[in-house]
Amino acid sequence: MVARMLRRPLVAGLAIAFAFAAQSARADINVGVTLSATGPAASLGIPEKNTFDLVPTTIGGQKINWIVLDDGSDTTKAVQNAKKLVAENKVDVIVGSTITPASLAMIDTAVEAETPMISMAASARIVDPGNPKTRWIFKTPQSDSLMADAIAVSMKANGVQTMGYIGFADAYGDGWLAEIKRSAQTAGIRVIAEEKYNRNDTSVTGQVLKIVAAKPDAVLVGAAGTPGATPQKELVSRGYKGRIYQTHGVANPDFLRVVGKDGSGTLLPVGPMLVYEQLPDSNPVKKVAADYINKYEARFGTRSTFGGHAWDAYLLLNAAIPEALKRAQPGSKEFRAALRDALEKANVVATHGVYVMTPNDHNGLDNRARTMVRIDNDKWVVSR
Amino acid sequence: MDLPIVALLAQDGITNGAIYALLALALVLVFAVTRVIWVPSGEFLAYGTLTLAGLQLGKASGIAGLLAGMAVVAGAMEAWRSIGDGEARRLPARLALWTGLPLAIAAALYFIAPLQPPFFVQILLALTAVTALGPLLYRIAFQPVAEASVLVLLIVAVAVHFALVGLGLWFFGAEGSRTPPFTSASFELGGVTVSGQSVLVVATSIALIFALALFFNRTLYGRALRATAVNRVGARLAGISPGFAGTLTFTLGALMCAFCGVLIGPITTVYYDSGFLISLKGFVGAIFGGLVTYPAAAAGSLLVGVLESFSSFWASAFKEVIVFTLIIPVLLWLSLTTQHHEEDE
Amino acid sequence: MSGGSWTRYAFVAFVAVLVAVPAVAPAFWVTLGNYIGLYSIVALGLVLLTGVAGQTSFGQAAFVGIGAYTTAWLTTSLGYTPWITLAIGLAVTAAVALALGAITLRMKGHYLPLATIAWGISLYFLFGNLDFLGGHTGLTSIPPLAIGSFELKAERALFLFVWAIALAALWATANLLDSRPGRAIRALRGGFEMAEAFGVDGARMKTVVFVYAALLACVSGWLYAHLQRFVNPTPFSINMGIEYLFMAVVGGAGSVWGAVVGATLITLLKQVLQDILPGLLGRSGNFEMIVFGVLLVVLLQRAREGVWPWIARLLPRSAPRPVPDAPPLKARHHAEHPGPLLEVRAARKAFGGLVAVNDLTFDIRAGEILGLIGPNGAGKSTTFALISGALPLTTGDVVFRGRSIGSRPPYEIARRGIGRTFQHVKLIPGMSVLDHVALGAYLRGTTGVARAALKLDRQEEARTRAEAARQIARCGLTAHTFESAGSLALGQQRIVEIARALACDPTLLLLDEPAAGLRYLEKQQLAALLRGLKAEGMTILLVEHDMDFVMGITDRLVVMDFGEKLAEGLPAEIQRNPRVREAYLGGVAE
Repeated sequence: MVARMLRRPLVAGLAIAFAFAAQSARADINVGVTLSATGPAASLGIPEKNTFDLVPTTIGGQKINWIVLDDGSDTTKAVQNAKKLVAENKVDVIVGSTITPASLAMIDTAVEAETPMISMAASARIVDPGNPKTRWIFKTPQSDSLMADAIAVSMKANGVQTMGYIGFADAYGDGWLAEIKRSAQTAGIRVIAEEKYNRNDTSVTGQVLKIVAAKPDAVLVGAAGTPGATPQKELVSRGYKGRIYQTHGVANPDFLRVVGKDGSGTLLPVGPMLVYEQLPDSNPVKKVAADYINKYEARFGTRSTFGGHAWDAYLLLNAAIPEALKRAQPGSKEFRAALRDALEKANVVATHGVYVMTPNDHNGLDNRARTMVRIDNDKWVVSR
Repeated sequence: MDLPIVALLAQDGITNGAIYALLALALVLVFAVTRVIWVPSGEFLAYGTLTLAGLQLGKASGIAGLLAGMAVVAGAMEAWRSIGDGEARRLPARLALWTGLPLAIAAALYFIAPLQPPFFVQILLALTAVTALGPLLYRIAFQPVAEASVLVLLIVAVAVHFALVGLGLWFFGAEGSRTPPFTSASFELGGVTVSGQSVLVVATSIALIFALALFFNRTLYGRALRATAVNRVGARLAGISPGFAGTLTFTLGALMCAFCGVLIGPITTVYYDSGFLISLKGFVGAIFGGLVTYPAAAAGSLLVGVLESFSSFWASAFKEVIVFTLIIPVLLWLSLTTQHHEEDE
Repeated sequence: MSGGSWTRYAFVAFVAVLVAVPAVAPAFWVTLGNYIGLYSIVALGLVLLTGVAGQTSFGQAAFVGIGAYTTAWLTTSLGYTPWITLAIGLAVTAAVALALGAITLRMKGHYLPLATIAWGISLYFLFGNLDFLGGHTGLTSIPPLAIGSFELKAERALFLFVWAIALAALWATANLLDSRPGRAIRALRGGFEMAEAFGVDGARMKTVVFVYAALLACVSGWLYAHLQRFVNPTPFSINMGIEYLFMAVVGGAGSVWGAVVGATLITLLKQVLQDILPGLLGRSGNFEMIVFGVLLVVLLQRAREGVWPWIARLLPRSAPRPVPDAPPLKARHHAEHPGPLLEVRAARKAFGGLVAVNDLTFDIRAGEILGLIGPNGAGKSTTFALISGALPLTTGDVVFRGRSIGSRPPYEIARRGIGRTFQHVKLIPGMSVLDHVALGAYLRGTTGVARAALKLDRQEEARTRAEAARQIARCGLTAHTFESAGSLALGQQRIVEIARALACDPTLLLLDEPAAGLRYLEKQQLAALLRGLKAEGMTILLVEHDMDFVMGITDRLVVMDFGEKLAEGLPAEIQRNPRVREAYLGGVAE
């Protein structure tokens, strides 16, 4: 009796399990993507997700299955997704996740499955060459350190001697604080105020008053998306006259919409794709970025640099997969290893710069991956 | 910390506190009448701001679609109930109320939005639309479990919160919005700049609180709600149906929260998921009033606002730690000084 | 947890399925199983804390975080082995839970859940702001668990380990609920005052449950850290705290199985939605959260007590466990005491300016039935509360067997040998008559939480149940032994209350308006029972409003009016007393 009661749901459960575990055809290449299309990092993850709607479904004559999952900006879910992609979809490469903690959390899963992983998150820690595990890990976005250096250089050029910092109370804000302190020290700039706020805070008056009271020559806001406008507008309304810097996290049209006229004069380092129209024709990035942005804007309206990180991951794979195919069949351990080796040798012109991967640099970007821009009349203008 | 800074922080804290107070009142009202801890109140606030911001851009299809969808579901539920109770005769009237009216609002929203009407009309539209979601939500999600325990009602409220946040992301996107200020005026008061917008927020909150007091003391419906809050069984005996009281309460609560959204729109950026933390702070205020008394809830909310403002100045990284740790002793003191009856739990 | 035969088979079948899963199921389903195991452990604590004891907590995720961060930091920074860090984690959690419990568990009503939100949020931001814990970014490279040289790295090996712990927790919690402390815990919600009247230190018991739930959460966190091998603050945020509560309620917070059902349902539902929604609704939006919320609203409307009771209804009902004869519990000492058994000495209770009991003095002699009567509002119930410890005295004293019990907490008064009933019957819905009466014998047992959880209490438990069955028989309710006490008629419920009071082997029995609301026949039965008890030597204080009922069975009467003693004497004398008649006629006229 009892056994029968229990058996029915069990059988049903297993049937469902196997149905979902159904495996795709062997010959295809499976690319597993996990990104943060919901949760706190949704404004970053959504353009990435949109971009994976645009990527071609064949590379080097091989059919590519893009399996895109949402991790809700949650590290547990990101790891769960990574495990699912590895175990069920037998992916040849993992792309993701959007944010640093989720990407760090996924490393062990990727390494144990001997599957290369391309993160779309900022921190240089993800590809730290000192950690042997990162042999399998790559990432497309510019590291905070590269962008922080650009800000420090710009500050120095503008005669800034002291700066204040206000950033997210999360991994993004913490990462930027650490990097800007390092870069500022190199440039001889003192960080005299450090404040934190939450993305959703309705008011940052307290933090801004404290920064204004410290009278720094410049203030850096370490935030992503429209929340970056909150401290900026508060600084302006408190009569702060110094320079305001933002990070590349805010480089989307929504930020301009929300910050309005309070944003004018703001300086920030961005990937060149944001302002590709203003680049000289000699810049190799221009053509690649134009191609991507035209496709993206035709379908989704306005560009976002975060979508570019996803497209760059595709471009890296586009270069590496044909190389790997020469050595092994997709779906095999050998293919994944070959793909890893090919990614490590990649030399790819992409939307955010030119990736020159080496065993010691799994990001591969250099100064060509950053451009200082100024907000001028609700537009991004390359600052020279 | 000099005087102008203290004054500015106080101004900031009081402005936020006034918003929390309105939310707290909505929470107290909803809890007292329906025993629902109204977790999604924050979503109504966010929907208020974001719908208005959408109207600025001539877009309102998301909310209009949601209203229409809920109208159809509520209509189906009413039809089911009417036929089940053998009251088919009353069905047309019920359908007109539960399906016709919200559909009309949805249609108005859908067709007027692209015309980019004046700001005042936009505000009215946004308020009407978001307010209409309140009773529909009560009818669909809460009325079928109206007699369940507080814990179950709370969990239903959390599920509704999940759904509304998801819908918010779909309708409004991940990025935040602001609405244009009602006034850009500011004036000096004892050497401190006071922004007109802050004064407006505080003044409107106070006005609304008084209006509510009048409603509860002077009008028939208000008295009916008070009666239900005090004694559910007695109210039913006196001919006030719990369904009616719940619907009315959710309408009022939704209106107050949507109003908060309109008030807060010009002073801060609101995101699809802003609601939770704001309503949590309103909830803290409401608890200060024991979920029963309105003045204590308002005072508690102001305290939270001011506490938050000052702690963000002193130690911004630990702001939430300070705010939420400091309320624990207050809660303890309140708990030990109020009388409780076991049956209430 | 009525522990019938089929539950054992079901349990064995469940274990068999669990053992089979890692052998046959696809790898990812093993992974999901691991997470379900982790969540079940936390939800189990919530079943006990929230579902059974009625203390709603949103803060369990913070305890999970303490367990996870303790092991993460100690293993990565100091190189400790995970087995030691588990012990340290449990110690830290216990300390934190004791400290938080000491503050927050005093709170009643809605203050407690809010306080749990408050410390849940505080701890989350604390994790994020401590640099040695990796800040908001997190700690990486946490080593896997290892048994000897065997690393529990593979999902399948870990699965067995996680579920071994989850099952152990399930077993221990089920044992705990079906035991001496378990009955006390089940009475905490809605019967706090009642439990205290039978010697349960309610505040202490709440703390015990709170710490127990926190320790379970800590174990889950420890496992999480070694499964994930990465920790950052987000999995321990208030959102996750809400989700754990969600699991417990959706599964069915009244039963230990509800925790497992809830954790499974929520985890699988999310997974299935992620798999099928893009196919149904397209990839352009994110509908998972919307559909998830809507489905749960529908589910709770269909099954508001959660899914488990709904499943349990489909399962065969097991016969109640029989009560075998067992040696009696140790009788409590009823040593002869010279002089009156209980002396009320100038007892006074003032509420603000209102004096409810005004310097009242009377005695109860051993072996008598004393009636305390008076018109409405005379102060009888207040006097009763002063004797039973429900209210503290303003001045004066109450002396029992020569020792003061005035203003002592009810559970201490119970320990001295006083049993009581309640004017408004206090029975826990869903708890059987046997369990209620066994709860009455709380003070005659010694089993603590640890012994109960490990099932080392069976001998004492058998004796307790046998004793309860004897008291039920003494009161003539044997036919209803296994029925839910809430389903009985009011007259029978009052008798259950008397049986429960008798189970504590009292020297003095306090009865608070036992005849109120009873029909004539029921009153007759009650009177017969009380006379029988007196014949066995029981001393009884009967507070009653019903004059006719009292006159027939009491030895002496004390009459109160306006908080003062109006008269004292034999029933016949009292009946003739003109002042009493006046007071009662006045009472009738009101």
